[in-house]
Amino acid sequence: MLTEAAAQIALQGVGKRYETASGAVAAVEAVSFAVRSREFVTLLGPSGCGKSTLLGIIGGLVRPAAGRVLIDGEPVVGPNPRKVALVFQDAGLFPWRTALDNVGFGLELQGVAAGRRREIALGLLEPMGLRGFEAKYPRELSGGMRQRVAIARALALETPILLMDEPFGALDEQTRLLMGEWLVGIRGRTPKTVVFVTHSLQEAIALSDRIVVMTARPGRVKDVIDVPAPYPRDLNAAALADLRAKLWDQVREESLKAMGGRW
Amino acid sequence: MTVLAWRAAILLGAIIAWEAVARPLNPVLYIAPSRLPAALVRMLNVRDLPPLPGHLWLTVTEIVAAYALALAAGLWLGFLLGLRRTLGRIYEPLLAALYAVPSVVWYPSLMLFFGLGPASKVAFGVLLGVFPIVLSVLAGIRQVPQHLVTVAVSMGAGPAVVFRKVMLPAMASTMVGGLRAGLALSVVGVLVGEILGARAGLGYVINYAYGLLMTEEYGVLVMLVAATVLAIDGAGALVEARVKRWAG
Repeated sequence: MLTEAAAQIALQGVGKRYETASGAVAAVEAVSFAVRSREFVTLLGPSGCGKSTLLGIIGGLVRPAAGRVLIDGEPVVGPNPRKVALVFQDAGLFPWRTALDNVGFGLELQGVAAGRRREIALGLLEPMGLRGFEAKYPRELSGGMRQRVAIARALALETPILLMDEPFGALDEQTRLLMGEWLVGIRGRTPKTVVFVTHSLQEAIALSDRIVVMTARPGRVKDVIDVPAPYPRDLNAAALADLRAKLWDQVREESLKAMGGRW
Repeated sequence: MTVLAWRAAILLGAIIAWEAVARPLNPVLYIAPSRLPAALVRMLNVRDLPPLPGHLWLTVTEIVAAYALALAAGLWLGFLLGLRRTLGRIYEPLLAALYAVPSVVWYPSLMLFFGLGPASKVAFGVLLGVFPIVLSVLAGIRQVPQHLVTVAVSMGAGPAVVFRKVMLPAMASTMVGGLRAGLALSVVGVLVGEILGARAGLGYVINYAYGLLMTEEYGVLVMLVAATVLAIDGAGALVEARVKRWAG
């Protein structure tokens, strides 16, 4: 296991409960793991296992009921846009802002001048194949384009850490695979620490350095699996196919539990 | 352009039909449009009334005052009830119940509180105009997508920034509709107030002309009111279109 001194993100016994009408429900329980600088770690698990909650806790949007999260050794007490940027499943673009102004939103909050914002935003949109779309509003863009704008908005903050909550979950299969390839490309150019939430085995194997498999609710760490293959990855290679089978066994078991063993 | 041409044609057709129907009938009861210009001239020269432009000006002033107050009170109350959840849950049903009461039943009280002068008309205009404004603010707040707020918060936005850069733009297109409805109702409040009891203003002159069976003069006044309201509502529509384009 990774020593905490070397970790950029460290979760220590993190737990969260939600109060519902029928009593308290534990979303995640006693979750501990660490992420190295520039590492790509995926949280994989059945739906409802608290993956998103965990990401929200790392991002300072959700307060844990137990345990704590350290980033560069400092406890997380709230959102920290200098170090952590988030991308959500729903692109969450502001419909009243153009693509360019959406990308510049975080910089605007940090008081960056308009000219400089424009420069940074254009520099991000262009390599994403969004040249010529900077003046378009979100409703004029396709789902994949919207998600790329949302990612550009997160990248514009130039944080060392990127948290991605099923960022391609709402996209169709082809777009999703292409976006994955594209994300691998970005990481090659600007190395970042990424924590990525998904329930897609394919996505997890294609993108991650390590995969944290979560149990059914309450979410705990079931297993941590290294993916030692170089990028870009051929998912049909024998080693990755074996890994996929192993992951599927684990995820299947937890998904069945999540469904109460009935299906 | 063709839409405008059609509208003009329809309007012209309506006037011609009106003329054709009214001309053979009793002129005291049925007003032919061709007689309105002469009536307008007579109306402008009536001796036992202050000049008409004064009444028009008074009415417009009352409307502006009523709407400004309704806007201030409605926005304040709407945001107060919408942003303070507990207060909102306590007061919203009361507000809806009050809204269901035909507001005109309050007018006698307003005249007792504020007298026969402009103040009671302004008060009635505020009373009518404030409801759609409050309700549209409440609806707008409910409509703000929570995940957009989360995005802004994750980028370091505090409550004031969230309000200004997320809530207001997200609410804008819902709110302008209510603000415009409030304007229309403030106009109704002032005019109805003047008709029910006043000493000046367009509504008062309408009542005066009607009381003396000066139907042609009455017709002129109705046209004048229609033109005023159209002008006010047209300005409102322009603002609404602009806000909607901005807020997408």
